[in-house]
Amino acid sequence: MSEFDKLRVVTGYEFLKHIRRRRLYIILGLTVLVEAAVLIAVPLLMDGYPDNVMVMAAMLSIGPSLATIGAVFFAGDAIAGEFEGKTGFILFTNPVRRTTLVTGKYLAGLAAVVLLIILGYVIVSISLLVIYGTVPVETAESFGLCLLYGGAVLSVTFFFSSISKGSMGATVITLVFIMVVSSVIDGILVMADKPHWFLLSTNGDSIATVYGGYELFLEGLPMGGRNIPSGWMENPDISLMILSMVIYLVAGFVLSVLISRRRQLA
Amino acid sequence: MPESIVIENLSKYYNKFLAVDNLSLSVTENSNVGLLGPNGAGKSTTLKIICGLIHASSGKVYVNGISVAEKPEQALSRIGAIIETPEFYSFLTPEETLSYLGKLRGMRSDHLRNRIKEVIRRVRLEEWSKIRIEKFSRGMKQRLALAQALLHDPPVLILDEPALGLDPRGVVEFRELIEEAGHEKTVFFASHQLVEVAQICNEVAIIDRGHLLAYDKIAQMEEKYQSLESAYLQLTGGIP
Repeated sequence: MSEFDKLRVVTGYEFLKHIRRRRLYIILGLTVLVEAAVLIAVPLLMDGYPDNVMVMAAMLSIGPSLATIGAVFFAGDAIAGEFEGKTGFILFTNPVRRTTLVTGKYLAGLAAVVLLIILGYVIVSISLLVIYGTVPVETAESFGLCLLYGGAVLSVTFFFSSISKGSMGATVITLVFIMVVSSVIDGILVMADKPHWFLLSTNGDSIATVYGGYELFLEGLPMGGRNIPSGWMENPDISLMILSMVIYLVAGFVLSVLISRRRQLA
Repeated sequence: MPESIVIENLSKYYNKFLAVDNLSLSVTENSNVGLLGPNGAGKSTTLKIICGLIHASSGKVYVNGISVAEKPEQALSRIGAIIETPEFYSFLTPEETLSYLGKLRGMRSDHLRNRIKEVIRRVRLEEWSKIRIEKFSRGMKQRLALAQALLHDPPVLILDEPALGLDPRGVVEFRELIEEAGHEKTVFFASHQLVEVAQICNEVAIIDRGHLLAYDKIAQMEEKYQSLESAYLQLTGGIP
């Protein structure tokens, strides 16, 4: 039996795990809920939907963005859980390379995230079609960036899972890394008018800013973007952000494989 | 007789703690060898190195002539193992778990289906075979652990306290199953239970602080020390 056949087996059963676990449906529910909240709150707070379809599309992209964070909950226990929960005593005594096991787990996690992202964009597209009668072509770009961001988040989570003793620790560290550490550095660099395209939190913003930049978010607000320091409105180069996400994706995954291969189940 | 397991000058450090100290022994094909020793003697560490779960600091281990360090997948394909008290994915049923593990071992569908039925029957989990493992007791999980160890009909069984967590009836049934399997397989079996070892094994290796203290047939050990218990106690520094 080839390693590729084993990879297919591992991916299939790991995906079954995601399908049977509650967390997939919780994140699915949250994604739908957030989209519903945007669709209900925007006309109530802004006297109807914005005239510019791009503004609404950018606002609705919060749902799929949330779905990508689901990757953290799918992957937090992917590697650490085998060691913490002692399931590794069964899995690792099989004639399968650790590389195959980690890759299978990664692909299954990615499939679950992609599923959620697709659902998010189905909601976005249907909503825009019903409200505006059109879906901007940028939605496809946003979808692509969202997939890439989901993969990058998954890889970063796999890295933390490979070095953590427990699943909870890996999940919390990843969330803190993305939502606190990366965001705080992001904020500091923006205020200092320095490049910040290499931060994962900035990369996540690209899912919405692809519709027209940061200034689009301020459209319709009472301040309308006035008195905002110029650096805050600067949009990082999208190609640099894509490069950054590819680096997170590849580096996180490769490191998680290398560390898992060396890790011992004592 | 060819040797199923060969351990050569095996040492293992956990940081500065020496868990296995230059251990060497060979287990011949189809023999049932008990690995005895007090807590911290290095029994589990030795078995984990054989199963590729941890790396040796020095020395070599061969299973059916295959180096575990150099060709782990090939070596593991010859082994069925129960290490410590393993856990299973709670979202799967025993049938699904065995199907997953069997597929990973390259077993063909028809053969795998038959083997799953057979091993589930042997460990008496028929009524639970389609129920998710999240509802299982420790004893039921140990039975499933034995089922997965036997599934691919490996020539070598590595067992680390396999009866842990079983009720008295379960312990007796478990011993019978391993004894039965041991007729046609090599069994390397770590335990604290002298009675268990005496019943299942024909040879015994006694280790302490990572050192091999004695390795002989149980009958000869009993002849020399009067009983296996006495041999164990004298060799490990208990009652003289």
